[in-house]
Amino acid sequence: MTAVINKNLLTYKGSSFLRQRLILSVLSGKPVRILEIRTADDNPGVSEFEVSLIRLLDKLTNGTIIELDETGTSLYFQPGLLYGGAIDHDCSLQRGIGYYLEALYMLGLFCKQPLVATLRGVTSNPIDPSVDLMKTSMLQTLKKFILDDEGLELKILKRGVLPLGGGEVVFKCPIRKQTRPVQLLDAGMVKRIRGTAYALRVSPALANRMVDSAKGILLKFIPDVYINTDQCKGKQSGKSPGFGIHLMAETTNGVIYSAEQVSNVVSSGEEPSLPEDVGAGAAQRLLYEIYLGGVTDSTSQSLAILCMALGQKDVSKMITGPLTEYSIWFLRHLKEFFGVTFKLENHLSDEECEGTGSDKVSLTCVGIGCSNISKRTI
Amino acid sequence: MEQSEDSPLDKKKSHRDRHSGRKAEKKKKKKDAQNPVLGESSDKQRNPKAFAFNSAIRAERRFRRKQDIETKKQHIPVVDRTPIEPPPILIAVVGPPKVGKSTLIKNLIKNFTRTPLTDIKGPVTVVTGKKRRVTFIECNNDINSMIDLAKVADLVLLLCDASFGFEMEVFEFLNICQVHGMPKIMGVLTHLDMIKNSKTLKTTKKTLKHRFWTEVYPGAKLFYLSGILHGEYLRNEIKNLCRFISVMKFRPLQWRTTHSYLLGDRYEDLTNQELIRQNPKCDRHLSLYGYIRGVPLKKETSVHIAGLGDLKIHNISYLPDPCPLPEQIKKRALIEKEKMIYAPFSGVGGIVYDKDAVYIEVGNLQSRSKNPNDENTAFINSLKETKIPLDVKIAEAKIQLFTGGQQLTAEELEENQLPSTENVLLYAKEKDTKDEDDLTASLENELNELRKQNSSSFHEEKVEDSGRIRRKVVFDTAEDLSYNSSDASEDDEQSGSENEDDQVEEVVSTSFEYTDLRRNKDNEIHLKIKNILKEFESTEAESFENNEETVTGNEEDAMEASSDEAEDSNDDEISDNKEKIYDSNIKWKENLSQKAKESFLDRQKSKRNMMKLVYGIFDSKPSTIEENREEDSNKDEDDKIGGLFKKVSRDQEKVKLNKDSMNVTETSLMLPWGTTTRDWLDPQNKVLVANCFVTGKWKESEDAAELLKLDDANDLSDVDSEIFGDFEDLETGQKFNSTKSNSSKDQTAKRKRSHDEKDEEADRQALAEKKRKLKEKFDAEYDDTEKTSYYDDLKISAEKQAQLNKSVFENMPDEVRVQIEGFRAGMYVRMEFENVPAEFVTNFDPTYPLVIGALNMGEENVGFVNVRIKKHRWYSKILKTSDPLIISLGWRRFQTIPLYSKLEDDLKYREQDFLALQVVDSSQDVVKKLGFRIAATGTVQELDKSTQIMKKLKLIGYPLKIYKKTAFIKGMFNSALEVARFEGARIKTVSGIRGQIKKAVSKPEGCFRATFEDKIQLSDIVFCRTWYKVDVPEFYAPVNTLLLPLDKKNAWRGIRTKGEIKRDEGIKNPINKDSLYTPIERKPKPFKPLVIPQKLQKALPYRDKPKHGVKSSERKRGIDRVAVIHEPHEQKVSTMMKMIKTAYEHKQEKLKKETKERLEKHRQEVAAQEASKGRKLKQKKKEVFRNRSKAQIREQKKGNK
Repeated sequence: MTAVINKNLLTYKGSSFLRQRLILSVLSGKPVRILEIRTADDNPGVSEFEVSLIRLLDKLTNGTIIELDETGTSLYFQPGLLYGGAIDHDCSLQRGIGYYLEALYMLGLFCKQPLVATLRGVTSNPIDPSVDLMKTSMLQTLKKFILDDEGLELKILKRGVLPLGGGEVVFKCPIRKQTRPVQLLDAGMVKRIRGTAYALRVSPALANRMVDSAKGILLKFIPDVYINTDQCKGKQSGKSPGFGIHLMAETTNGVIYSAEQVSNVVSSGEEPSLPEDVGAGAAQRLLYEIYLGGVTDSTSQSLAILCMALGQKDVSKMITGPLTEYSIWFLRHLKEFFGVTFKLENHLSDEECEGTGSDKVSLTCVGIGCSNISKRTI
Repeated sequence: MEQSEDSPLDKKKSHRDRHSGRKAEKKKKKKDAQNPVLGESSDKQRNPKAFAFNSAIRAERRFRRKQDIETKKQHIPVVDRTPIEPPPILIAVVGPPKVGKSTLIKNLIKNFTRTPLTDIKGPVTVVTGKKRRVTFIECNNDINSMIDLAKVADLVLLLCDASFGFEMEVFEFLNICQVHGMPKIMGVLTHLDMIKNSKTLKTTKKTLKHRFWTEVYPGAKLFYLSGILHGEYLRNEIKNLCRFISVMKFRPLQWRTTHSYLLGDRYEDLTNQELIRQNPKCDRHLSLYGYIRGVPLKKETSVHIAGLGDLKIHNISYLPDPCPLPEQIKKRALIEKEKMIYAPFSGVGGIVYDKDAVYIEVGNLQSRSKNPNDENTAFINSLKETKIPLDVKIAEAKIQLFTGGQQLTAEELEENQLPSTENVLLYAKEKDTKDEDDLTASLENELNELRKQNSSSFHEEKVEDSGRIRRKVVFDTAEDLSYNSSDASEDDEQSGSENEDDQVEEVVSTSFEYTDLRRNKDNEIHLKIKNILKEFESTEAESFENNEETVTGNEEDAMEASSDEAEDSNDDEISDNKEKIYDSNIKWKENLSQKAKESFLDRQKSKRNMMKLVYGIFDSKPSTIEENREEDSNKDEDDKIGGLFKKVSRDQEKVKLNKDSMNVTETSLMLPWGTTTRDWLDPQNKVLVANCFVTGKWKESEDAAELLKLDDANDLSDVDSEIFGDFEDLETGQKFNSTKSNSSKDQTAKRKRSHDEKDEEADRQALAEKKRKLKEKFDAEYDDTEKTSYYDDLKISAEKQAQLNKSVFENMPDEVRVQIEGFRAGMYVRMEFENVPAEFVTNFDPTYPLVIGALNMGEENVGFVNVRIKKHRWYSKILKTSDPLIISLGWRRFQTIPLYSKLEDDLKYREQDFLALQVVDSSQDVVKKLGFRIAATGTVQELDKSTQIMKKLKLIGYPLKIYKKTAFIKGMFNSALEVARFEGARIKTVSGIRGQIKKAVSKPEGCFRATFEDKIQLSDIVFCRTWYKVDVPEFYAPVNTLLLPLDKKNAWRGIRTKGEIKRDEGIKNPINKDSLYTPIERKPKPFKPLVIPQKLQKALPYRDKPKHGVKSSERKRGIDRVAVIHEPHEQKVSTMMKMIKTAYEHKQEKLKKETKERLEKHRQEVAAQEASKGRKLKQKKKEVFRNRSKAQIREQKKGNK
C-alpha cells in the first residue's frame, strides 16, 4: 500500500484513497501513478465518481497531465498549478457533493484566483459528509487556520438526495499566502445544539417527527437544543424524495461536532425508514461525536492535519479524538508526499476528569512552510 | 569678547538667585508652606497649568507626529526560529582584490584563538565566546561567489581601500545584498596609512562614510583600520572589531527563516576507487559536511548546490559537533582549550567523526614542519598531497618499521603481512557486506559508543567498504590532547609510534580491498540475497503496519478501548520485531539485557505506540536487512532456510492482505451515517459523555459550582471580613489543601456540604484565600499593564510561537526529533549525494563557497516566472527581449531568456510594470567594458504553467470602393479564407469611424465588404486590431561555476546575446529604408475651387447663393473718393442750410442751459422753505415741552407738599 518512490514519482497500487493521493499530488506538485485499480473487480478500472473527481481537479488546475490507459486500471496524474476561478461541475451521483467539496476545501486556499465553485449532485448520502456538515464543522475547522476568513462561504441552493440528486451548492473560497500555525488544545464543553431537518418531496410533517425524536434524546443532556426544519419547495428540493436531519453541537470554544442521518432510498430496494429512527440515529451519532471529542470532529480531522502540515515552519499543536482510519492514512500519505512526520501522543489532561469522552490524541508537527506560490503578488 | 569691548554698557549682569542667607531661607520657608507635599516634585507636577497645551491643533499635531515616528520604527514581528544552540555566525569578508581581506581574517582568527593560521582556504569556524561561534569566509573577486555569499552571510565585513575609494565590486555586492535580503553590513576601511595628509584623511573618511551610509543605512558602522605593522593590523583595532562582532545581534531575514541551508566546510569523495580507475570521469558519490542554518532541514527535501545544480539528498545524518561550544561555563572567559578552531579545507580541526570512521587531523603542514625529517610526518604528508592517486602514493610511500630497519614500500609490506592478517581480512569482509545506506541510527549508536569510549582507549578498526581508503585510527585520549600541546616531545614520539601502527594497518587494508574487488562475484551473490531480504523486510514492516491498522479500523469498540488493547495485541509482535532489530544493532555491544529493558521501557511510552500505529515501524531503521542476514548467517543452515520459508509465506499473506485493502471505498467518515453506535441513553454510557456538556462538571479552574461558592464567600467575607482577615495567613495553606482533596473525592456531593461547623469554617477560609488569589491575578492582568496595542499583541504572539518552537521537542532524543522536526539549525550534518559530476571533485577549489540550499515545496517544479523588473541605472546597455541574462533567483543562478512585457488594461497604458530579478552578466571580457555587472533587479510576481503574453497587431487596409455606409476594403488580407476567419471582427478608421467585417468578395483576392457607422472616405485607412500570442522561450541553463576548471571559474559562458552572435559572425542588420533619416519635404497643397451645381444655386436663397460680383464692403473700399463740385446756387443753398442748422443748434444749447439753471434755483428755494419750516416747528415743540415739564415740576412740588 505504501508508495514506491522513484525520484519525484510516487507509484501506488489500488484505488484506495485515490482522492487523498490526487489532492496531495496537486499540493506537492509530485506526479503519481496508480496501478491495478480494481483489477479483480466486476467493474474494473476507475469508476465514474473518480473520473468526475479527476475532471474537477483538471478544471481547478492549469497544465495537468492525466493519462488513463484503455482498461482504466492505471492512472498517471501529473499535476499542474492550482488556478481556481469560477468552476461549474456536475458531480457523479455515485458519491455525494461532500466527496468533491472536501477536495476543494483542501485546495481552495492555494489557488491563484479566489475559487467560486458551483457543484451539482447529491447533497447528502450515507457515506459522504453532507453539505450541511461541510458548511458547519468543516468550514469552522478551516477558518481556524486562516487569519481572515472573509469570502469563505458555502451556500446550499438546492438539496437533493439519492438516487437522482438535483442538489446544488456554491462554494466560495478566498486565496491565502499560507496557513497559520495553531495551538488548539482545548475543545471546550458543548453549550448548545442546533440542527436542520429537511423533507424533500415528502410530507413536511416528517421533518417535525425527526426533530421530536432527536430532541427527545438530546434534551436529556443539555437544554439548549433548537432544530430547524428546512422546507424545500419546488426545484429546491431536488429530484428525488427523501428526508434527513443534520445536527451540530457547538462548544464553548467554538468547536462544532456534526452528525447526520438520511432516509433510506426506497427505489433502490431498501426498506423505507421511519423519521423517528432517522432523528434518533442522528442524535446518537452526535453524542458519539461528542464522545470522541477533540478540537475538530472526526470527519474534518484530515483537513486540520493538512492545514497544520502545510503551515509555516512553526510548531502547531492540536488535540483530536481518536484518529480515524482516513486520517491515519492521510498522515501516512503526508509523510510520503511532503516528508512531514507528526508527533502523536495520547493526550493526558492535567486535570483528571471522568466522563469527558474518549481518549484524546495530541498531534504536533512543524509545518513545511508551504506558501501559495501561484498567488500573484502586486 | 569684541562686542563686549565695543559696548560695555549693553552687557548686563544676569540675575542670580540667592542660595544662602536670610532672604533665601525666607523664600524656602514660604515655598514649603505653600505645598508641603510637593516638596520634591517636578516642575510639571507643581505647575501643571504651565505645561498644559495651549492649542488643541498643535497638540494634535504633536501627538500625530509622535505616533508617526513610533510606527515608523515598528517592524512586523517575526517568529524567531533560531534554535537554542545556534549554528556559527557566518561572517563573509568581501571586497575588491588587494584590500586586505586575507590579512583581516588572519588577524581576527589570531585574535580569537591565539593560534595563527597562515594558509586559509574556505570557511574557518572558531569558538569565540561562551555562546558564540563564528565562521569566517573570504569572498573572492567573483560575482558568483559574491552572490552565493550574500545569500547566506549573517554579517558582512565590507572592505574598502580608503586610499583608492569605493570600487565597483562594493556597490555590486551591496546591490546583490539588497535583493537577496540585507545581511548586517559593517564597512572596514583599510590602507588609511597611505594617506599622508591628515586633512585629506579626515575628508576621505567623511566622504566615504557618507557614501556608505546612503548605500546601507544612515549610521551604519564603519571601521577604520589605520595601518599595518609587521604585516598585521594594529592589535587594538582588531580587538575592537572582534568585540563588535561578538556582541552583534541579527534580525532574522525572511528568506532564511523559511529555508534551510548550509555552507559546506568539508567534502569526501565516496566513489568506488575502482570505478574511478576505470573511468576517471564517472559520476561521483560525495558527502558534504556543514552546519545546518535557517530552519530545520527535512530529509526528503531536495537541495540546490549553488554552481552545481539541483540534487536529491541520498542520505543525511547528523554528526557530533566538530567545533562545540564549551559545555559548562564556569569562568567569564574561555579557556585556551575551549577556543576551538575548525577548518577542514585549510587542514585544521581536531577529531573528525565520519559516519563510519574517525579522523584525527594531524595539524597543518606548517605546524608540523618543525621536524620534517620525521618519517611519520613525511609519510603522512606525502599522502596528503592528493595530486597523485592514493594507491600510487601509498605504493610509493616508504615506511620504516623499526628504527634502523629497512625502509619498506607498500608492496613489500603487503607481501610480508599477508599471512599474518587473515583475521583482519575476515573482518574487513564482514564490514564490506554492510550496505552504503546503512541505518543512520545505528551509526549514531556507534558514535555514541565511540564518544563514550573516547575516555578510555579506542581500538576500533575501520576498513571502508566501497574502495574508499580510510585510515584506521587507534588512539588514546591522551593522544588527542597531545595534539593541542605542542611542547610535549615525548607525546610526539608516542603518537608517532602509533602512527606507525596506523600506517601498517592502513596499507594492509588497502590491499585487502583489492582482493575484495577481485571477489566481485561473491559480492553479487551477496547483493542478490540482500535484495530478497530487503523485499522481505519491507513487506514484513507493512504487514505489521496493516495489523495495527486493522485493529484501529475495526470495531468502534476497539477504537474506544483505545490503544491499550491495540498495544497488547501488537506488543508481542512488536517486541519480536524489536528484539530482532536490537539484537542486530548491538551485536557489538555487551549489555544486551539492559538494552532489552530499555527498549521495553521505550515501548511502554504510549507516544511511540501511537506513532507506530500510524507510521509503522517508525523507530526501527529503514533497512535492517543486513543485520537480519548476518544474524541468519550466524544461525544454523537449517534455521536459515526455515526462516526464509517463513518469510516467503508471510510475504504471500501480506500480498493477500494488500489485495483486500487495495480498493477500499474512500470516505472521510469514521463510519457510514447509517451505522448505529452504542445507546447513549444507557446510564452506563451516559456517564462517559456527561461532562462534555456545560451542564456537566467543569474543570477545577472554571467550575460553575466553585465560582458560585466563591460568590457566596464574597458575601460572607463582606459581613465579617475582619474576623477572617486576622488569621488568614496562619492556616490557609492547609485548609485549602484539605478542601481540594475533598472536592476531588466526592464531586457529585459537592453542593451538599455537611453542615459541620468546623468544615464550614475551613471552607470559608479556603474560599477567601482563593478569592484573594483570583483578585491578585485579576489585578495583575488589568491594573498594571499599559494598554496593549495591536502591535504588542502581534509581538507577544510571535514570541510565544518562538518559545513553543524551542520547547516542544526539547526533551526528545535526537534521532526521533530529527524525524519529526528535521535536522534543526546548528546540527553538524553529513549529506551524501549521488551522481555528482566528476568535475566537481577534480576542479574543486575550497575558496569558492559551497552553498547548499534546501528547496521548499513548489520551488522544484518551475513553470513560467512572472517578475517585475527594473533596470539598474548604472547598467549601460539596453535590456532586450531574447537577449539572455544570468539570473539569480532563490538559491539558483541560471541563464535564461527573458521576455519583457507590460500589463495593459483596456483603457490606457499604465505606468510600465517592470519585472524583478537579480540579473547578472558576468563574462569577464564584458565586465570591464560594462562597468557595472548587475543589469536589473526585481521581484517575482507569480508562477504559472502557461503564459498569456500577447502582442498587439494592427492589420491595415484601404477602401476600394465606398457606398453609403458600406465599403470594400482591400489590402488587409491576402485570401478569402483569411477574411472568413475574421468575419464579424471590429474595424476602425484612423478618424475613429467604427465598423465590422462582413464578408469576403471574390475579386480582388482578400478584399472584403465592411459596414461602418458612417460613410468613410477613400483617403481613410482602415485597421483591425488583433492579438497575437507570443511564445515565451523556454530556456534554463544553470550556471555551474563549481564545475569549471580553476582558471576558468570566473568565465562561465552561456549562450551569447544576439548582438554578440552578430558581431562574431559578422552579420549586419539589413537596412530598412524607412528607418533612414531623410530631409522632409512638404509641398503646399493646392485645393480645388468649390463648385456648386447650377441647379442647386438656383434653389438656394439669395443669402447662400455664391456671389460672383464684388462684395459691397470691398466695393466701398476699392472706390476712391471723388471730389464733388457744386453749382453756385447749390452752394448757396448748402451754406444757408449749414448756417441755419448751426444757429438752431446754438439756440437749443442755450435753452438747455437756462432750464438747468432755473431748475437749480427752484430746488434751492424749496430747500430754504423746508428749512425755515423745520426751524419753526422745532421752536414750537421746544416751547410745548418746556411748558409741559414746568407743569410736571409744579405738580410734583404740590405732591411733595
